[in-house]
Amino acid sequence: MSLLEIKNLSIHFVTRYSDVHAVNGVDLTIEEGKTLGLVGETGAGKTTTALGILRLIQKPQGRYESGEIIFKGKDLLKATDDEMRSVRGNEISMIFQDPMTALNPILTVGDQIAEVIHLHGKCSQAEANERAVKMLEMVGIRAERAGEYPHQFSGGMKQRVVIAMALACNPSLLIADEPTTALDVTIQAQVLEMMADLKKGRGTAMLLITHDLGIVAENCDDVAIMYAGEVIEYGTLERIFHNPKHPYTLGLFGSIPSLDKDEERLHPIEGLMPDPAALPAGCKFHDRCAYATDECASCEQELAEMESGHKVRCARVMKGEI
Amino acid sequence: MTRKKQRDEKLAANLTELTRKQGQWREVLMRLVRNKVGMFGAILCIALVILCIGAPLFTKWDPYEQAVINKFIYPGREHIFGTDDFGRDLWARLIYGGRYSLLIAFGATCFSTCMGVLLGSIAGYFGGRTDLLITRFLDILQAIPSLLLAIAISSALGSGPFNTMLAISMGGIAGGARMMRSVVMSIRGNEYIEAAKATGSSNARTIATHVLPNTIAPLIINASLSIGGNIMSISGLSFIGLGVQAPTPEWGSILAVGKTYIRDFWPLVVFPSMFIAITIFGFNLFGDALRDALDPKLKD
Amino acid sequence: MAKYIIKRILWMIPVMLGVLIIVFTISYLTPGDPVITILGSGYTPEKYAAKAAELNLDKGYFGQLGSYIWGIVTRFDFGKSFYSNLSITGEFARRFPITAALGIFGCIIMVVLGLPLGILSAVKQYSVLDYTLTVIALVLAAMPGFVLAILGLVLFGVRLRWLPITGLDTPKSWILPLATNAMPCVAMIMRQTRTNMLEVIRQDYIRTARSKGLSERTILWKHALKNCLIPIITVTGGMVAMVMAGSIITENIFNIKGMGTYMYAAIMQRDYPIVNGCVLLIAFIVCCVNLIVDICYALIDPRIRARYASSGKKHKKKAHKEVT
Repeated sequence: MSLLEIKNLSIHFVTRYSDVHAVNGVDLTIEEGKTLGLVGETGAGKTTTALGILRLIQKPQGRYESGEIIFKGKDLLKATDDEMRSVRGNEISMIFQDPMTALNPILTVGDQIAEVIHLHGKCSQAEANERAVKMLEMVGIRAERAGEYPHQFSGGMKQRVVIAMALACNPSLLIADEPTTALDVTIQAQVLEMMADLKKGRGTAMLLITHDLGIVAENCDDVAIMYAGEVIEYGTLERIFHNPKHPYTLGLFGSIPSLDKDEERLHPIEGLMPDPAALPAGCKFHDRCAYATDECASCEQELAEMESGHKVRCARVMKGEI
Repeated sequence: MTRKKQRDEKLAANLTELTRKQGQWREVLMRLVRNKVGMFGAILCIALVILCIGAPLFTKWDPYEQAVINKFIYPGREHIFGTDDFGRDLWARLIYGGRYSLLIAFGATCFSTCMGVLLGSIAGYFGGRTDLLITRFLDILQAIPSLLLAIAISSALGSGPFNTMLAISMGGIAGGARMMRSVVMSIRGNEYIEAAKATGSSNARTIATHVLPNTIAPLIINASLSIGGNIMSISGLSFIGLGVQAPTPEWGSILAVGKTYIRDFWPLVVFPSMFIAITIFGFNLFGDALRDALDPKLKD
Repeated sequence: MAKYIIKRILWMIPVMLGVLIIVFTISYLTPGDPVITILGSGYTPEKYAAKAAELNLDKGYFGQLGSYIWGIVTRFDFGKSFYSNLSITGEFARRFPITAALGIFGCIIMVVLGLPLGILSAVKQYSVLDYTLTVIALVLAAMPGFVLAILGLVLFGVRLRWLPITGLDTPKSWILPLATNAMPCVAMIMRQTRTNMLEVIRQDYIRTARSKGLSERTILWKHALKNCLIPIITVTGGMVAMVMAGSIITENIFNIKGMGTYMYAAIMQRDYPIVNGCVLLIAFIVCCVNLIVDICYALIDPRIRARYASSGKKHKKKAHKEVT
């Protein structure tokens, strides 16, 4: 049995003026101890999917339209609020994109880590504090800094604190939402390396959200490419990187400058992602796709298995036309 | 205090950003019109202003004409709000009296805004010692609660509409000046100001042509939000006998008379109170809406 | 931190001096001769000179100002009333506690009511309760204290006869003065709390707290509330000034023998030493409240604490530079 299985998840944001289809029928699976990379442009619905797993979608606008989120055999969407709280931070924890704002400015970092240990660890406050300090040391922050406040730390250090906080209760799944995007390039590598080490040591599974294919290549076992709230290609790292099929995925790889070839310019994908409040009919990518036919504009595409461990949402690919 | 200043500066920066872009005024207007609560406030204000300016059109009574036999008549067909202790029509007194309340409130707002602009822009533009001197002065001015300052000044100047206006405007200077100062300071560093200086513009000219246009939005917000408070102060001053005095009708002084007869004749208390409250209510709603429209980021 | 507080306290001295000079100058420049007013018509030049000397009015502007300041600084003596010959300081001692009690209880009420209602309004945003509270707050904010007081008197005192109209003799008689002092402030604190709370619960760190599995209550009290307190403290501090100034009107309405009625009577009689003394005392309280507000900021927010500390250091550095 997989650790986490998301089936047909749809999340919409409904306001008086608009109905934003942020996530549309997403299926994902994460195996125990493995890392799944979720890749896509800004606005593709990656973060919404992640927040959706923890049921942290902003209410009352955010709504689950359909789907199941099976974690360790239980549907999180059917769990009570109490059950959900005992999952958050304990079995599934999350690292957010911007460490600058993710920490409470008026509580010491030690307190913020100890809080989650005390809550889920069923231990005394003193013991929680002690373990919090150990967590800090583990992410490379000196013990005496536990009493300091977030504003006394640099961005990279803050993200270490956030990571310590997320791993404090030994979760079985870690959701990392662009954990390094807000950091300097030099720090990015350090933080990622540290995360990988910690993860390996504890056997934690991870959902790594990013738009950086380089990070995916180094950290993930499986990859899901998202576009306009849908998974459009899904498979093992090797399959996706060595044999990408979907025109959008091809485009993504095409927009990375290659060192081997002597190229004059980048090859970005033409056009913009459709407005999630007014998604086109048929394939969501058809108006940017070089291979699109009239059929693409009218028929909904299914995420179909091409080979074992490689799914694509493109009728033309499935027919072998591309 | 520090936090408040910081917020003011942030606000100022947002607003200057906003006003720099021409053509956004139409959008501001659209946002304003779309705000139903704000429009309700605006309608209240406009209705009151029309009522007060066109007072003779809305009543046949003279607000000064006494008829002692008619005193303390309860609201009815002849006198819709009843009559006061001298038999004067209360409705007429209230709508004529509104002229004073509104005029003094607008006058005080204008005066304190102008003073604030002057002090604030000088402090913000020149900085250094001038700035220090002016901000220290503002510190001192702000240590005295504005109503108290108004009371002290008007007790010294004596009553009368003009003196009341002057007394009330004093309390509003500091707030406006601080706001103006932070706006000007945030603009001062911009390149186009440097450019104006480099081309030999005089200081006064630079302030007038480059700095002031960028401060219109925060000034409008500050002024519109202070009108309600000014009306409150005017009626308060008149109520304790320092502002506009009898027989001139003013809401606060009518209420003060009503207080004497509180046990026996309720209309003289309830109607002036209503006028004061509705006016402040209207201006507050409109001021809030104007702020939201001019800077949506500040919306609550 | 301690250095910052000391600096702030020292700064109060020139501010108070400034207030004193402004207030004194206003009364000095007021037209009319108090000596003539007191003596009435038919005084002799000798009588006039004696009275002027007695009231310390025979010296010039600077002489009068100097002896006024000297009296306050050395003996805490605000002078004497022009008319009653009673010491103003003694009168303060008798009257100030009443006004202070009204003010302090009023502040307690406005925080105790305004804060929770504001939080409730924010947590239940867009609910019927939220709308109701918002409308009530808007209406209350449009009512000057004295209008509220008069309407309260008419309704509860005269019509329903539930509450006494004047004085502070029975516990019941405190209800109307306190309510009319506090209600407009309750409304303002409530609106401020709601606004800030809505702002704070949108912040990322609140989402982080949720992702840790904390209960909504812990999130609210431990993570959100403290973060939204600072603007509320600012507003509350401002309210204290408003309540102190408003006491002139409310005490007058309810006929309470506090600072307000004292000052009111003095204004009517043009008894300037009393007016000046009252304004000074109130300005002093406002300054103290501002200081307390600033200290509260530091207690709540470590970033402000750090800034205070570094502002002291910067000063030192500057001084150092000037030396070298």
